[in-house]
Amino acid sequence: MTKLSRKERMQKAEEMAGISFWVDLRKGRLSKYTIQKHVRSFFVSLFRYVILICLGFVVITPLWNLVRDAFTAPAVLGEKSSSWIPQQVSTIFMSMSISKNLMDYWPSLLYTLLTTVVLTFLQVLSTGLAAYSFARLKFKGSNILFFFVVLTIVVPSDSIMLAQYAAFRNFDIFGLIGLINGTGAGINLINQPVAQFILAGTGMGVKSGLYIYFLRQGVRGLPISVEEAAHVDGAGFLRTFFSIVVPSMSGSILTVSVLSFLWNYTDTYYTGLLNPNVKQLAYRYSSLQSNVRWGINNAAKTRPEWLTTIDATNPFLQTAVISACALLVVVPLLIMYAFVQKRFVQGAARSGLGGD
Amino acid sequence: MKKETKTAVKKPALSWYKRMDFSKKTALWGFIFLLPWLIGLIFFFIRPLVNTLWYSLCHMEMVNGKFSGTFIGIENFKWVLGVNADYTRHLAEAFTQMAKEVPFQIFVALFIAMLLNGEYKGRGFFRAVFVIPIILATGIATFTLAEVKTLTTETTESVMNMKWLEDLVINSGIPEELTTLLVTYVKNIFDVVTTCGVQILLFLSGLQAISPTLYEVAKMEGCTQFETFCKITLPMVSPTILVCLVYSIAESFAHATVTVGETTKAFSTYIQEITFTGAAEYYGYGAAMSFIYFAATLVTVGVVCGIVSKGVFYYD
Repeated sequence: MTKLSRKERMQKAEEMAGISFWVDLRKGRLSKYTIQKHVRSFFVSLFRYVILICLGFVVITPLWNLVRDAFTAPAVLGEKSSSWIPQQVSTIFMSMSISKNLMDYWPSLLYTLLTTVVLTFLQVLSTGLAAYSFARLKFKGSNILFFFVVLTIVVPSDSIMLAQYAAFRNFDIFGLIGLINGTGAGINLINQPVAQFILAGTGMGVKSGLYIYFLRQGVRGLPISVEEAAHVDGAGFLRTFFSIVVPSMSGSILTVSVLSFLWNYTDTYYTGLLNPNVKQLAYRYSSLQSNVRWGINNAAKTRPEWLTTIDATNPFLQTAVISACALLVVVPLLIMYAFVQKRFVQGAARSGLGGD
Repeated sequence: MKKETKTAVKKPALSWYKRMDFSKKTALWGFIFLLPWLIGLIFFFIRPLVNTLWYSLCHMEMVNGKFSGTFIGIENFKWVLGVNADYTRHLAEAFTQMAKEVPFQIFVALFIAMLLNGEYKGRGFFRAVFVIPIILATGIATFTLAEVKTLTTETTESVMNMKWLEDLVINSGIPEELTTLLVTYVKNIFDVVTTCGVQILLFLSGLQAISPTLYEVAKMEGCTQFETFCKITLPMVSPTILVCLVYSIAESFAHATVTVGETTKAFSTYIQEITFTGAAEYYGYGAAMSFIYFAATLVTVGVVCGIVSKGVFYYD
């Protein structure tokens, strides 16, 4: 009656094989080599899990602390018995943080996601083009220019902060905009996301140098013969790049996109400098950190039940509210990464290319 | 070739691009691909940087509330390296920190990435876990990180109270400098793991790009695991090692701390404090300090890459 699917049948067969291993072992039908192999693979995976769980514990602890603080009920805040798992759970801090006066969460999240997606796209495009140029389309002086890529990685961004601000306060390229305006002065791009878009699109955004370097290494790891074949078959340079190179190094591009998204999403430095916008989640969070008390009082006013239970002077309560806000900033990133990481699959670009 | 010249004769106005030989076309497109980055480099990087260099060569003064500089050559650099007693010591401190941190970071990152890479249950979960440090390192949870630091040192001291092991290692006859270095590594393993999230991700991507057929071949030929690692994994991820080295060195210098008296502070804070001491001429000194700092980082990156890139394997 029960018809097994292919997958289930496979599973059953595997199970049988697993049982037969123990049966074989008991009856002494196994060779010494097979036993050795099984024992070794057992210890390898044991070793792997022990190390990953231990290190994973270290990594997860700060995140768990955020969750713990955010969901502790106000009554048991700061008690020692709640130091790992809160004795009494409540979502009051979370709903407070989401509310309009604290994080104004949903509109801010939408704004942040939109700008971050645009920034990531521009950044990956500009760095990808530059990386391909550095790796394959060499011209006189491109090696010297590559030296500047390393320089952009090495020079900390805060040492050129003021001049960058000035460049966007009075934005002008070769005096062109001034000519069109007729005033001779550039335009003010501060307080608009455009300034960040320009930086990302011209390969000077958050850690762009690292991406160029990494993608260049990725291109150099590809066999050149495929691109040569494309050229011979009459593909232009743009077409070769977009339909040959980009798909075959999708792994590196995915990594760069993930990093770019993470860093643009959590970037407070460029946002604070060029576009101090309270709608950007990370910026809002970091400005909140310095005046929590004021924020909590403001938020508490909106609901009578908060006004009675919330004491903004309690440092534990302040920590709890900040934790809830931090959690709200971090969670979308984690959800996104959980989806994306499935796409980190073994690259098969080089299979079928004998001779390389 | 014949066909090309034919079209050239037919439509001479349109064919300048077609008549170009391939290497010239390559160069042209290379320039076009690089153009956005080049514009950004000139306007948003080189111009600010040249400003800093100019300040470092000037005697800065406040005139009517505005900074103005008169060119004095390398006097500021002389002051920083000669008159100021602390700077060179701090620079040396940053160097030793970097030399201790970076190799260990690369090693741990590669090791964790290899563990994460295999086929096992819960792979997705563990991969997601090791991205958390990248997110948290951006300052989202700085206040908790400080708290966690005390917690982790507590756990290291309680769970891993291995004084006997330490004594054993120290008395084993291995040179003491080496063993103390080893012991500090093990004690700082938590710090290292939390700082090498980016490197883990880069290595993971590098490992993913290795074709499984290579491993199959190695297995067929009877390679041991160690041989497979040395002959396949290491050469194939060597370009990534280079990237990680550059990144780690730059990050290590950027986050270097110096000890001033009893307290430690970030190197950049130290330079800023010198810059804004009050007197205008310190502005030039600060610029010179930043400049020496970039130069030192750059030279380190250059030397390390120069050595390592000899062993890097590329397809081209």
